[in-house]
Order: sequence, then structure tokens, then C-alpha cells
Amino acid sequence: MTTPVCEVTRAIADLSQALASGRLTHPRSRHHAEELLKLLEDVSWGRGGTAHYAAMLDMAQTLIAEAPDDASRETGQQVLAALTQYQEVFTSHIDTCICPTGECVKLAPAPCQIACPAGIDVPSYLTLIGLGRDAEAVELIREDNPFPWVCGLVCTNPCEFMCVRGRMDESISIKYLKGFAAERAMSEGSYRNPEKAPDNGRKVCIVGAGPAGMTAAYFLALKGYRVTIFEALPVPGGMMMVGIPRYRLPREVIDREAEMIERLGVEIRFNTRFGKDVTFEQLRSEGFEAFLLAIGAHEAYKMLVRGEDDFPQVINAVQFLRRVALGDRRAPGGRIAVIGGGNVAIDAARTCIRLGCEQVTIVYRRTRSEMPAHEEEIIQAEEEGVIFSYLTVPKEIVGYNGKVTALQCLRAELGRPDEKGRRRPVAVEGSEHLLDVDAVIPAIGQTVDSECLQSVAQLKWSKRDTILANNITMATSVDGVFAAGDVVSGPATVVEAIGGGKKAAEAIDRYLQGIPQPEMPPVPVRRRRLECIELPASTKMILARPHMLLLNNDRRRITFQQVELGYPENAAREEARRCLRCDICRRCGLCVEICRDKMGVDALQLGYLDFDHPTATDFRKTAERCIGCGACAANCPNQAMVMRDQDGERIVSLCGTTLNRLKLQFCEACGAVIGPSRYRDFIAKRLKALSLPGDNRALCIDCARKSSAERQTDILPPP
Amino acid sequence: MSSYYLFQDSKKCIGCLSCEVACKSNKALSAGPKLCQIIAIGPKFVGGLPRTAFTFMPCFHCENPWCVAACPTGAMQRRAADGIVFVEQSLCVGCKTCMSACPWGAPQWNQETGKVVKCDYCMERVDAGLKPACATVCTTHCLHFGRPEEVPQVRRQRYAQAMSTFE
Repeated sequence: MTTPVCEVTRAIADLSQALASGRLTHPRSRHHAEELLKLLEDVSWGRGGTAHYAAMLDMAQTLIAEAPDDASRETGQQVLAALTQYQEVFTSHIDTCICPTGECVKLAPAPCQIACPAGIDVPSYLTLIGLGRDAEAVELIREDNPFPWVCGLVCTNPCEFMCVRGRMDESISIKYLKGFAAERAMSEGSYRNPEKAPDNGRKVCIVGAGPAGMTAAYFLALKGYRVTIFEALPVPGGMMMVGIPRYRLPREVIDREAEMIERLGVEIRFNTRFGKDVTFEQLRSEGFEAFLLAIGAHEAYKMLVRGEDDFPQVINAVQFLRRVALGDRRAPGGRIAVIGGGNVAIDAARTCIRLGCEQVTIVYRRTRSEMPAHEEEIIQAEEEGVIFSYLTVPKEIVGYNGKVTALQCLRAELGRPDEKGRRRPVAVEGSEHLLDVDAVIPAIGQTVDSECLQSVAQLKWSKRDTILANNITMATSVDGVFAAGDVVSGPATVVEAIGGGKKAAEAIDRYLQGIPQPEMPPVPVRRRRLECIELPASTKMILARPHMLLLNNDRRRITFQQVELGYPENAAREEARRCLRCDICRRCGLCVEICRDKMGVDALQLGYLDFDHPTATDFRKTAERCIGCGACAANCPNQAMVMRDQDGERIVSLCGTTLNRLKLQFCEACGAVIGPSRYRDFIAKRLKALSLPGDNRALCIDCARKSSAERQTDILPPP
Repeated sequence: MSSYYLFQDSKKCIGCLSCEVACKSNKALSAGPKLCQIIAIGPKFVGGLPRTAFTFMPCFHCENPWCVAACPTGAMQRRAADGIVFVEQSLCVGCKTCMSACPWGAPQWNQETGKVVKCDYCMERVDAGLKPACATVCTTHCLHFGRPEEVPQVRRQRYAQAMSTFE
């Protein structure tokens, strides 16, 4: 694998080399080249402004135009070529303050932010929550994701899997902290919409009021577009509303966040099915200039077993969950078999429990460890009394008189792994057995219901029956028609749909303004550079991820009340303070290396810095050996490691975590700081063979120089 | 001591600081570090008149340097050939132990690089057969750089002159 190269860093290296080589002999060329280098370094160190790119182009052209020799011309051309060929890279460095390769050290991104499909600046909002500034945190999240509350409850949190704190103990509870802040802000009335650009009079049509469509609507409305959403269902939210059960995501949460988007002037036409109630051509003639197809994947896969289509008691999970979400709370039967091992299967099973079904069995063909459903979901389902029948393959749905009576199953064993590395279940011959049930709910996957899109001619489809779209611009094969969400990706997550909607909004804006589309995948934006929260090393170590409080199990089994009750305020604030601030510390490990290998002090035990082989971390260990020399801080390119003298103490801290405090000694002559005694002992030990000249007073360097000058000088003239 | 001798005839020095300026500009140093420094002593009243002495304080390039002993990284080195004590920038990690160890305050802190910088008699210039920057600009010609045997014996002469009298 080739390591990605940052074009900004490369341009700086090339130009520095040209300057160092001495080829640029003419003073004017040297001056131009040096100025150009300064501008490039501004970009690389996050100091670039809107005028920087044009200024760099201009300077490179000047260097060429005024070149007195070949060397100057070639140098100018080299930079100009890089600037034009990689314009997107340069402007993205300036606009986002993120260098995806991390080579521009000040712009190295935090792993959580990179992992987030919506690209939220996680460390910044965690810091704000840690400081109790919930409304600001929500405002910051909504710069990238208009659904902080929804995501705070149901996001699949890829960020937490990348969380560096997870290498130390447990990852930060990023997902829930987001939900906490959104809930608080909403309750206090401080959950507000950002300022919207003036109306530009141009109309955009979005099909589907799910996470992708609503996100695109939000960003387009903020840019001044007139957005209309066509929604087949009578409610907003798409799969968030009709796929995710209420005990995980209360309806109020979706309603309130959808309302915030509507308040931006987005119109949602409910009960309007695209392709039936309105047609593509009709909408075009109504003046819609761009379209976003975000209809999701609401069609269930078939199991392809005998009896599947013969009984009304076989109802697929998508349909079942939709029916319940829309208010039909009748139990599908007494004994239920849910087939599948994903989150949807668990959702369907737990919903059945709440509807009063006596016996709910999840039939899954592999074992518990292969289940794609979330561990927490599985545990909660077990607690609520869902029965799991692992290594069981459904073979036939058996019934009598038009009613399901049983599910015939085979036992299975795990065979060799398939291409994805999952072990394939192999049926055991002659292991047929009957599972007595009244209804069967297959939950083995979803696909796109493409019927409504037949009227959009020339729309190209993938082999998986999803719309073929450019994964950077979300543009389809039809001019002016974009697609995002499950309809492109196949069944995926809320946050991926939000990420897709965001990309589509950007592309639609560019399309309508005639700006060229990006060729590079979007780079997340560093929204703030916030000061770190000061915390003693022991606190940073001791704080632990809080346990989620859950509704009591009896109430869980009979109501659709939210199961996860949330963190108390102090737990949330403390949890946010556990964040290691990877937006500042890029985990290069230089501090550890210098302390251990160069200084020979070995005071830093920061095993978490190593991504591949994390070893033990203990911030408290530093105080045992650290001499307060500050070499770690002097070499930290990002000022993550800081040493400062304050109130008679020398303090060494890493991203706000106080690693060491040492009492300072002062110059006997002028009172200037001369370092802590442990530092002076370190030096004295090294100097043991050498006696100190003079009067042996503890002096600062200025006073040392002065006093030795005084000793040498005699003002009186020689006799 | 190094095999060179930088002699200041303090009787001639008027404290114009040209040496400091030339030193800083030669090494392109920002505000802060002063590799050589003129320390003004006084004024004191001598014979009813105020007198100030100016002492030139570079690095003395000790035979057995405290800074080299203190440096944990081996960045502070003494050149075997001529005894010049210098900092190898690539090895310096900025722990400042040399600064604290030197009894004369010779090693200086360069805020821009986060490393120590010190007087190295302008090594590259010396190797090229030139004098250190400070000694080239001295207005009153009070700075002399060379082999110890080449340095003028002004102090002895002056002392002899003061002692001897034809009267």
C-alpha cells in the first residue's frame, strides 16, 4: 500500500529544496520564492485565509514572469503546476483546516471525526459539553448534521470504534453525549437554527423525507433554496420513523428535529407518492431545477422458502415495523418467529414483546458472535425475554386452513468462511424440526422499491437494484437528478444517509450555480480550535464511561417507552472530560521518544499513542520521574504537550491533563525562574566531576553572565 | 580551552554593540538569544568622574565544558580538532540543561526553533579562513581573534608603560 502524500507538504518540500540548493541566485527570484514559501506554510499550518490560493497563484506567476534565469522559471512552473493540478487539495486545506493525510501536522484530523460519515467535529463538541455549553455544542454539530438528537439515540457510532480513549480503557460515549446536549438544548429552548442565506428563488425537489432527504433539505434551505419534499408516508423521518421502534427513538425526537428543518422554509408534502401522485415531468414543468431521490430501501427481501406467500401471518419486518409505527398496535400472534440476525430482526422481536406476544423467537442461522446486530441490542432483547435459536435455518412455513402453525427448521453447523470472512452455516442433514408459531416475521434484509422511479427515464441502476450515483457528488445518470441514502447504498445507517444528503446538497448547490463539481471525496471541517479542559492526571485516569440507566424490565416489556434513560448531568460532563482531544494531539509519540531515548528520563507512559500496538497508559506515572525540563513540550508540533510556570510551580500538561507539577526555584540575584530542584539535581548529577567556579550561587543565565563579567572587569585603570 | 583566543581590549571598547548585531545577523537570530553580549559594568566614580566598563561575554569554549557534560542528548559537543564547543542542532531537544549548567550563561534559548544556540566562534567562517562575525565589525578594533600566540600583548605593554617612568 502506498502512503497517501499531501500535495501541500510536497510543494513546500520542493520549494524549500529549490531555495536551499542555491540555484535561485537572483535576489528578486529568491524573494518571490521565499514569499511563496511563506504562503504555502500558512496553508500547511492552518493560517490560510480565503485570499491565500489566489495569492499563491499570483506569486508563482510573478516568479515565472520576472524570472531572470531558467532556475527561477522552473521553480515557478513547478509550484504553479502543483497549484493548478491539486487546486482542490490546497483549497480544502484552507477551508477545512484538515489535512486527511495528517502530514500537515497542525491539521491532522481526529480519528472520530474521520470515522463519522457526517464528518462532525467530535472533539470540539465534547469539549463544549464538558464545559456545560450544550447549546453551542448542538450548534456546532448542526454545522454538519441536522439530527444531533436522533443520532444521539440511534447512531451506530463508528466514531466510538475509532476512539483513541478505547485503546486506554473504554471509548468515550460520543453518541449519547450528543443526545444529551441536544435534549438539554431542546428543553431549554436554546436549540436554534443557524442564520439562513437570503432566498435565491430557485426550486429544488427532494423525494423522501428520511435522513438523507431532510439533511439535503436543511443544507439547501440554509443556502437560500426553496426546497419541497415529497413524502409518501403521513409522517416525516422515513426509516427513522417507521423502521426504528419508538422505545429506541421516541417520535417527539424526530418531530422536533424535522420541525426545525421545516422552520427554515422547507415544505413537506405528506401522503404524496412520487411517480403516482406527482410525476417527474409534472414537477419539472413546475419549475424544479434539481431533484434529489432519497426514497430509501423499504422493500423486504424474500426468504424464498415454501409457504412464504401462502399465509397472511407471514409479514416482513419492514412492513410490520411500519404498521406498528403508524399506530396499529395489534399483536401479530401469540408465538412469533423472527428470522434474521440484524438490528431489524431485534427491533421486530422486541416490538412483538411489547405488543404482548407470549413467545418470541429469533431464528438465526449462525451463532451469537456472528450476529450483525449491536451487542447492546442483543443483550436488551435477551433481558426482555426474546428467545434466540442459533444455528437454525428456516426451511418451510407450515400451516393449516390458511393459518401458520409452525416453522420447519434445520439445525446448522458453521462451515468454512465465505469471501467476507464470515463462517457459512451448513445444514445438518436430517435435522428437520418444527417450531410451533402463529406468525413469521422475516427480517433478512431490505432493498429498494424502485417502482415509483420508473418514470425517471435513463436512470441507471446497479446490479443490487440501487441507483448508480457518483459517490462524491451523488449525481445520477440523469442531468440535474441526484440520489442519496439507502436508495444508493442499499440498507445502511442513519448517519450514512445524513452524510450522503450533505454531499448531495453541496453538489446540487454547485450544479445550480455552475461551479465545477469536486473530484476529491469531501474532507470534514475543523469547526473550532478550543482550549483544552484542565484536569489532574488522576481524574483523567479514574473517570470511567458511565453505565446507561435503563427503564425497568417489566415496563420495557409492556410499553414503548424509551429504554435508555440517559446520563445524569454530572456523568455526562465528566464523560466529556475523558476525551483525549485527538484534534490537537496527533499521537506522533515524539514526546515519549524524546523523554525516554534522548533525555533518558522515561517519565511518559502513554501507550495509547501507538495505534497498532497500544501498551499501558498511566498519566499519573509522569509525576514520578518527570524533571520538568520541557523537552517534550519544546518538540510538540501542535502544542498538545505544554509546559508553563505558574504561581511558583512548573506545570507539564498534555491536552489539558496535568501530568506533573513541581515547585520552582528562583535566581538568587534577580528572582527569575531557574527551574525546579529536581531539574537542577538532574544537571548536578551529570556535572558531578566538575566543580562550579565562582560563589556557587543559584543564578539565572542572565545573572550568571553578568556576575562573571563583573568578576573579570576592573573599572579602575591598571596601576 | 580551544586553540583560538578571542581577546577584547576592554580599555578600547565603547559599548557600541556592533559585535552583538553582527553576531545575530550572521546567525539570523530573532530577538532573545545573544550569543555574545557586551555587559556594561558601572558607571562608578573614578577620580570624581563616572566610568563604565564594557565586558565582552562570548562563550569561553572551556577545556572541560559544563554544558557538554550536562547535555543528555549529545547535542552539545566539543570539536576535537580545535576545541570549539557547539550545538548539533539536529540532536538538541531543548531541555535547556546546558543553559542551567553553564556558569557563564553562554548557551542561549532560540524561541523560534525551540532549541539551544550558542557561540561557536562562527565555525563555518573560521573553517573558511575568516574571522568570527563579531571580530570583523568592531569599531574600535578592540576584538582580536586568532591563535593565542597571535593576539597582541597590549595589556602587558600597557602595564609596562604605566609602571615605567623616565622621571
